[in-house]
Parts: sequence; structure tokens; C-alpha cells
Amino acid sequence: MLKKYVIGVLSIALSVSAISCKKASMANNESEHQAINRIEMLFKQSGTTVSTIVAEDPDGDGGNPPSRIDNISLDINKTYDVEVKFFNISNGVTKDISPTILQQAKQHEVYFILSGLSLSIEKKDKDDNGFPIGLISQWKTGNTGGQGSVLLKLMHKPLIKGPNDDPSKGHSDIAISFNLNVK
Amino acid sequence: MKKRLFAIKISIFCLITLNIFVVEAIAQECHFRLSGIIYDGTNKQILSGATVSLVGSDKIAVTNKSGVYRFNKLCSGTYRIKITHVGCIPIEASLVVDSDLVNQNFYLLHTSEQLSEVVVSSSYDTDVNSIKSSLSVEEMQKLKGSTLGEMLKQLSGVSVLQTGSTVFKPVIHGLHSQRVLILNNGVRQEGQQWGAEHAPEIDPLVASRLTVIKGAGALRYGSDAIGGAVLVEPRSLDIDTGLRVEVNTIYSSNNRMGLLNSIVEQGIKSEKSSWAWRSHLTYKRGGNARTPDYWLHNTGIQELNYSFHGGYQREKTKADIYFSAFNTKIGIFWGAHIGNLTDLENAINNKTPLFNINEFDYQIGRPSQEVSHYLIKAKLTQELSKDRRINFVLSHQENFRKEFDRSLIDNNPELDLNLGTTTADLNFETDRFANTNQQFGFTVQRQANIWSGSRFFLPNYTNLLLGLYGIRKWEKNDLQFEAGLRYDYRSLEVFRNQNGQNFQVDRQFNNLSSSFAINYVPNNNMSWVNNFSLAWRPPHVNELYVNGLHHGTANFEIGDPNLNSETSLKYTSQFNYQWNKNTKIDLTLYANYIQNFINLVPVLPATLTLRGAFPTFQFKQADALLSGSDLTFNTALNPSWTYRFKASVLIPRNLESRTWLQQMPAPQIDQEISWYFSPDKKSNYISTNALWVARQRFIPDNFIDYLAPPSEYLLFNLNFATEIRLMKTPVSLGASVFNLFNVRYRDYMNRFRYFSDEVGTNVVLRLKINV
Repeated sequence: MLKKYVIGVLSIALSVSAISCKKASMANNESEHQAINRIEMLFKQSGTTVSTIVAEDPDGDGGNPPSRIDNISLDINKTYDVEVKFFNISNGVTKDISPTILQQAKQHEVYFILSGLSLSIEKKDKDDNGFPIGLISQWKTGNTGGQGSVLLKLMHKPLIKGPNDDPSKGHSDIAISFNLNVK
Repeated sequence: MKKRLFAIKISIFCLITLNIFVVEAIAQECHFRLSGIIYDGTNKQILSGATVSLVGSDKIAVTNKSGVYRFNKLCSGTYRIKITHVGCIPIEASLVVDSDLVNQNFYLLHTSEQLSEVVVSSSYDTDVNSIKSSLSVEEMQKLKGSTLGEMLKQLSGVSVLQTGSTVFKPVIHGLHSQRVLILNNGVRQEGQQWGAEHAPEIDPLVASRLTVIKGAGALRYGSDAIGGAVLVEPRSLDIDTGLRVEVNTIYSSNNRMGLLNSIVEQGIKSEKSSWAWRSHLTYKRGGNARTPDYWLHNTGIQELNYSFHGGYQREKTKADIYFSAFNTKIGIFWGAHIGNLTDLENAINNKTPLFNINEFDYQIGRPSQEVSHYLIKAKLTQELSKDRRINFVLSHQENFRKEFDRSLIDNNPELDLNLGTTTADLNFETDRFANTNQQFGFTVQRQANIWSGSRFFLPNYTNLLLGLYGIRKWEKNDLQFEAGLRYDYRSLEVFRNQNGQNFQVDRQFNNLSSSFAINYVPNNNMSWVNNFSLAWRPPHVNELYVNGLHHGTANFEIGDPNLNSETSLKYTSQFNYQWNKNTKIDLTLYANYIQNFINLVPVLPATLTLRGAFPTFQFKQADALLSGSDLTFNTALNPSWTYRFKASVLIPRNLESRTWLQQMPAPQIDQEISWYFSPDKKSNYISTNALWVARQRFIPDNFIDYLAPPSEYLLFNLNFATEIRLMKTPVSLGASVFNLFNVRYRDYMNRFRYFSDEVGTNVVLRLKINV
């Protein structure tokens, strides 16, 4: 009786251990998908793009640090129309996420936080409530140059967005600092 | 009559399975001693408080906490012994006392409330030699509607690791997650338990008893539970009930949670075979929780759980099948969902959450978790002879976990994990040699984890485990011994894909673990258990290969593929003493030396991403010593009034850096006074308890936490319970007020203590109807 049991049980046990796990060996790519991993700032004068500033982190959070963060260089006494664009690049396919952010404009706001120098930045676009978005802005440099940085923040704040929010309200979808040189 | 006959049959069956012990002859009339242990025949647990009397004499003994009864100064002769216990079928037997030190153990069976070894048993390997504590029936009833973790924290030495107001993980003597094994109806729960914010996927309403084994007392189920084990034990199936229905409804005021639970069971008997089945269903839904000052947005919870249990017995064969499903959706507090280090600092600097909507709502939005756990188990027990039996358990579990962070692009979860586990366990048990019990077993387990989603956290892996064990128990005079040995082989295959490059990493682990226990039971009033164990735990895939941002906490976690197994050498000592019938003390002391303790340690620099900088933590190993003590003291001031004192303290030392380990529970004291307004009934009472939790002072010197441990706090709770009859139907009513004075506090063991206060006053109403 015992022998019969042990044989029966061992054969079941062995078949348990032999269950193949084909799916496990087909691993997904660990580089982050479906997140913003490229940011472009288009600096325009009279409708023409004069400079494109890029920050890029192809493998997403972690792994390697961002592979590219350009420096921004502006001229004194100039007015720039700035458009910020967010992209997802995954498996070689580039997806522009800016229209999604615009669609969800009531939940988002872009901030530019300057340090080390000052210039005038005005957000030109508004959401359905008439509150600022910041995907389109106008930057005016003064008559003195200088060096510093600008922190670009995309804040996510569903249901709590107001007209004059502090840049700390909500949580950061994007927070990346660019060197800024005005001469 | 038929029922009675059956009960007698059960008793005879029990008597056959008695352990008969060595008889040492000393020829001195009227100086003989008779002793033994009374067990719960259903699950082999010891029964304290059973009355053992010698019919026709005035000699009565009550079993102590170790289930031991004892008579001294008996004359030689034949005695009629009678054993009774609340809720059990009394048994009577004849015994010949013709030598000193007659040892006779008995197994009692439950009456209608619980049954029955004859049909189906859930045999857990927890007996007098393991150091454990269980929730009483009243406590279980009082805590209905709470999560498993919240219920277990009532036991001294057990605390919880919390994530906000919705996720509770049990912590035993400072250890949790992979280091605590949870047995769900005798099957090792295999979910994504590595995560600090992953609660056990179990509905505590399936259980009739919750037990915590402190230390490695569950060698049969694996050696990696170096912190301890939690046993979630459903009532055994009942063949005697006919059809029985139990309905529980619970309402919680704080988060306006409603719960409906029903249990339907039935036993069917025929001449040669017996059948029984039970099904259970729980639905609960709660909304946002409230602190004394504000609502916590997105902290709702939804749960739908169900199970089916069927059993069959024919002669010497017992078969049982169990299926359970657990499905939950949990909101994660908005204000704790931060983007980066700057957001975290902003959140901490604000006394109230910066990112919150101060309103009640049942809606659960992102961030959230959706978790399902399915278990199917088949068990076969065959009596080979009257003292040998074989158990075979085959089980499969599927765990699905989806974590929704914050997606801009689509509605899919950021993290999506599926873990499948198949286990076969063969166990052979024999009482053949007088005075001993032996069991041997063999376990095979195969596991596969698949991840998907838009954010990598844990790789795909397969895990093969082979385990072999042997456990022997024996007794000599006042001493009971237990020795166990287990060998485990674990083979881990990890499948990676980095930027389209597929590769595989293999790791193998071989380890031997053992435990040894001596229980000294000199008399009815005292027992002293000493348990020594050597256990090991291989590093989990998470600790080896994790690389990513931890959901909701803005921590970047990095694994170390070169980690080795943790080895734990633990000594635990439990001393029970009863002065008279009314006063009991239970003192547990422990020291757990863990070599290569795996710990998340902050490292520099912070991880830079397009979303900002994140504080970074890496898994590292260091030798640690966790030592401490748990104390419970009960006294009945008179038949109506009782007082209970519980305290626990843990000293968590990192031996390598000569400092303390972080995130360990602070010392606490819980005192309760109860008034039983009809003293013969334990279920009619009013009680109040005061819980004091100290400020945690054992924190690492070199670890800069974002926020110092919160201050000490004192909470008062109030409980009321009674049983009435409504049209001849027994109805249990209960009410509790938790955090009676709406105290504003934060707890060191809550991972969201940076963001918000704990919940305020909560009034819970309970109604239970038995039909």
C-alpha cells in the first residue's frame, strides 16, 4: 500500500517540477515603456525655430542617467516663443505625448523656475477653466547677460489645479534642470 | 440517537489513536501519578482549560496552557476518567493505574460548532513545543471586518508594517515579508509578499482561528520563515450539522465601510461514507478614511472573496478539496503619491497633506492596487494502519497584482505581475514506537513569475524547490522533546531583457535547517518551552535583481545579484505559569542572530531622471541581532472583572555598523479591563483597553531619515458584545470604538507617516446571525 502511494505521489511530484514555464523565458524589455523619456524645447522667433533644446533618457528611470541634456543659450534683448514637447520613445517608435497633456490640461501645468539670473516668462496657453498650462510661453531676455539654470517642471494635479498654484502643488511628472546662458 | 452513536464512534476512533507512554513501575501504593495532554482532535492543537475528572472521586484537574493535566497520589486500580471542554464532546475512558507516572493523552472532538477528524482534518504541525499565541474566539469576533494584519497585531510580539490606512503586513519579532510564512488552510501562501506595501492576500473571515508561531516552528512548511509563521485555520468541516448558515454584517463609521459575509455548510452521512461542504462569501466596500482633521483622498477599499471546501471520508481514506478566491482593489492615498525628492520634502514640510481633496468618496482612482489570489488544494489522507498514516497535498496558486501608478499614455497598470505556484507535499506519520511520534516528508514546488507593464521592477523567473524533512517528538518524565531536520534545494532561473538583449541568470541554493525544542512541564500550572532553531532564507529575486522606482514612495531600489542566503540562529523561551485558576503569566524571551541579514541601505548619489532626483537604496547584507521579550499577564479580579496586561519590546541591533536597524517596531504596552455582565458567558462583556506605543529610539545613527520617528501615543478603545435570541435564532451583537478620543498621531511603522496622520475615531457595529 505504502509503496503504491509513494510511487504515485512521486510521479505527480515529478510532473509538477516538470511543468514548463515557456512564458517566463520570454522576458519583456526592461527599458521603461510608456513614460516621457524625451523632452524638446523649441525656441522660436517670428514663427521660425531658432534652437531646439533636448533632454533624453532612452532607458527611462534608473539604469543609465539621462544621456543628453542640452544647454540653453539665448541672446540679450530678444523675445522667444517657446513650445515644450514631451515624447515617449519605445522600441524605436516615437510618440508625441504633448496632445495628451493638452487634452488633460485641467490636470497639468508646466513651470519654469529660474535660478542665477532673471528673465520674463509668460505662459500663453490656458485650459478650459482659464488657468495657465505652459506648453506655449513667451520668454523675454533683458539687456544684461548671465549664467544660471532653468528647472522645467510638469506638475500633475488632478482636481486641485488653481489659477495661481505654487510650483510645489501636485506631483512632478517631469523635473529637469537645464543650464541657461544669456549673452 | 444516530448522532450520539456517531459521537461514540468518534470517541472510540480517538481512543485508538491515543499515544501510550512508557510506564515506569514503582511499587508504592497510593503514590502513583497520572498525567497527559489533552488535544483538540480536529487539528491536533493542545487544549487548555479542559476539565479532567476521575469519576467517583473528588479529584479534578484542569489542563494548563500546554494542555497538560496531572493527578498525584493515586492508588493502584482501574479508574474511569472523564474529560470535558467547552464546545467539545465529552469523553470517558477506563484506565489502569498500576505504576507510577502513567501518561495518557486524549483527543477531544468538537460538538456542532466545529468538527471533525472523521471527515476532514486540517492537520497543522503546531503542538506544545512551538512557541505560539492565538487570538481568542472573542477577539476574533471583536476584530471581524479588519484585515489579517490588523487582527494579528493584537498578539504580543506581533506588529504591523503599514502603508497608509489600507495596507497592513504582519511583523513578527521585527521581521516581515519573505521572513514570515503564512499558511492558508495548510498551504504556504505564495503571493508577491516581498513588497513592503503588499498585504497578505487572505480574507481573515475564512478562519476560525489565527495563530502566530514565533520562531521557526514550522519546519514542515519551509525553512525560510526565520521570523515566524501565521496559521490561518478554517473550521474543520462538520458532518453533524445538517444545513447551517451564518451571516455577518459589519459597518465601520470612519471610512463608511460595509461588509457582508455569509457561510453556508452542510454535512451528509451515510452508512459507509460521509460528506461535508462549506462555502463562504465576503463583500466589502469602504471609502476614504478620515484622520481627526481631514479625509484621506483615494483610500477606499473593495473586496470580493469566496471559497468552497468539500470533504469525503470512507473507511480509512479521507479526501478534501478547497478552493478560495481573494480579489481586492485598494486606493493609495493621493498625498503620498509624490514625484521626486523635492516633492517629498515639500510634503514633509507641510503639516497637512499638500496634495489632497478633503472630502468623503467611495471612488478609487490612480494610484491603486488590484490584487487577485486563487488557491486550489486537494488533500488525501490514508490510514495505513492504526498508527501510521500518509498525507498528500497538491495545490496550485495564481496571484495577479496590478499596480496603477500614474499613466499619461494609457490606462494600463505600470506594474503587472503574475505568479503561479504548484506544490506537491507528501507526509508520512507514525506513532508506532511507544512514546514517540515521527513524521517524514517531501515537498516539490515550482514557481513562475511573469511581469509586464510599463515600468520594470522585478524580472521574470522560475523557481524550483525540493525539500526533505523529518520531525521526531518524544517524552520523558516531565520533559517533552522535539527535533527536526530539513534539507532544501532551490534553483532559480531569472530571465532578463535589457534593451532587447535576452539573457538568463541561474542561482542554486542548498541548505540544511534544524530545530530542537525542550518543554519542561513539572506540573499542571507550569510549562517552560525552549526552542533552538537554525534556519536559512535564500535572497528573493526582488533583493537580487530589483531595479526601479518603488510605487508611491519615491525610493529608487537596487538589488545585488551577489547576495547570499541569510542564516538565522534563534533561541526562544516561553514560560507559562498559572498561580491559581485566575492568574496567568506568559513570558517569551528571544534572541535571533541573523548572519547576512538583507537590508535596504541608503546609498549615494541620488538617481537622476527626467522626473527629478530620487533617493536611492540598495540591498546589502550585515549581521544582525534581534532580541526582545513579550509578556502577557491575565488575572480575574472576581467572576465578572478581568484585567489583562500585554507588553513587548524589541532591540534590533546591526552588529556590523554597531548601530540599530531601521523600521523596527517600538516598545508597546496594552492594558485591558473587561466586565462580563453575565459571568457564565464569555460572549457578554464590555471592555476598554489602552494602547501605549513608545517613540522609537532604536534608529540607525548614520541613516538620515526624512523625518524623525513620531512621538509616543496613547489610544483608548471600547468594546461591547452580547448574545441574544431573536425568534429562537442566536444573534451576536457587537460594537467597538477604536481611537475613542480621536487622538492625532503618527506611527513609525507606517510608511506613509511622512504624509499624513493615522485615522481618527472609528465606530464599528457587528451583527452575526446563525440559522
